[in-house]
Amino acid sequence: MKILNCPLNGPRNISEFICAGEVEVEPDPNRCSNAEWAEYIFLHDNDAGVVQEWWCHVPTAYWFIVERNNLTDEILRTFPSTEIFTKRQEYSRPDQEAS
Amino acid sequence: MSDATQAASGATATLRRAFHYRDLEKAGATFKTVTDASVAWSYGDGQKAETAAASTLGIADLSPLPRTGYKGRDIAKWLTKQKLKVGDASNQAYPCGKGSLAAKLAPGEVVILGAIDGSDPLPEKLDAAWTDKNGLCFAVPRRDASFWFMITGTRTSDMFAKICGVDLRPKSFANHAIAQTSVARSNAIIIRDDLGKVPAFHILSDSASASYMWMCLLDAMQEFGGRPVGLQTVLSLCK
Repeated sequence: MKILNCPLNGPRNISEFICAGEVEVEPDPNRCSNAEWAEYIFLHDNDAGVVQEWWCHVPTAYWFIVERNNLTDEILRTFPSTEIFTKRQEYSRPDQEAS
Repeated sequence: MSDATQAASGATATLRRAFHYRDLEKAGATFKTVTDASVAWSYGDGQKAETAAASTLGIADLSPLPRTGYKGRDIAKWLTKQKLKVGDASNQAYPCGKGSLAAKLAPGEVVILGAIDGSDPLPEKLDAAWTDKNGLCFAVPRRDASFWFMITGTRTSDMFAKICGVDLRPKSFANHAIAQTSVARSNAIIIRDDLGKVPAFHILSDSASASYMWMCLLDAMQEFGGRPVGLQTVLSLCK
């Protein structure tokens, strides 16, 4: 049985988790080009080696980040997403942005 | 027994009843009104036999009893405003009110289980006080969304070992610890809450799966002689 250490719940069977792909920083949708936005939405780096990925502990719907070597499938570290994403992502229309 | 418990028996249309009440009826349950709910009170073969079973391995349905829950970044502020002290540690339950239990699932999520004799009005009071003007604090209708069973007895952790990957043995899983994990392939919340000296666990999961989980647990309990027990027996273990 493979075990993953959830930052909220502790060690759990890997079958309790889903992986949702690599962590990317979202470009500002009001300022980036269409090409940059399309790259963010549709293209993935697909790096080989140590990557950061979004994982979810399904019973608690808790999302966190896993640092994993995808060549050896070794999990190096798991941590709350607040380490990287320190504030809530807000969206506003360009004409409603505070100047 | 509290004043809230009345002598009326049998389920009526106006009372809350278990999601899987037909399974309980088939198992021979007799029902009694506790607050606004019809609860499986006993299973008709004598209090002595039920108490013996509950001390070894028993399962009681508490689903109709009061409970509530809240979710969101600002729940701590709101609970403090309601003069409810809930600790900081997640996956930990904190006794509160008059026999209720506040189960902290995450920094932004809490479940309040009312007293199992129905005597503590805390869940109803909180729900009555809640408004949508408390920042990021949302009410979760746990009484509708989740079933609530209680598994009691010394063989509980042996039974759970068959259907759950978390080590729930008393030496590894302290009283009032919480595990949010997979039980019989369903997502569930398990809270250890001993009844006197008898190990006991609350289990909450999706109310639509109540009948499925009831059957799974009874099946897993079979080899240890486990069986359904009524609320009357569970309350007798508290004394």
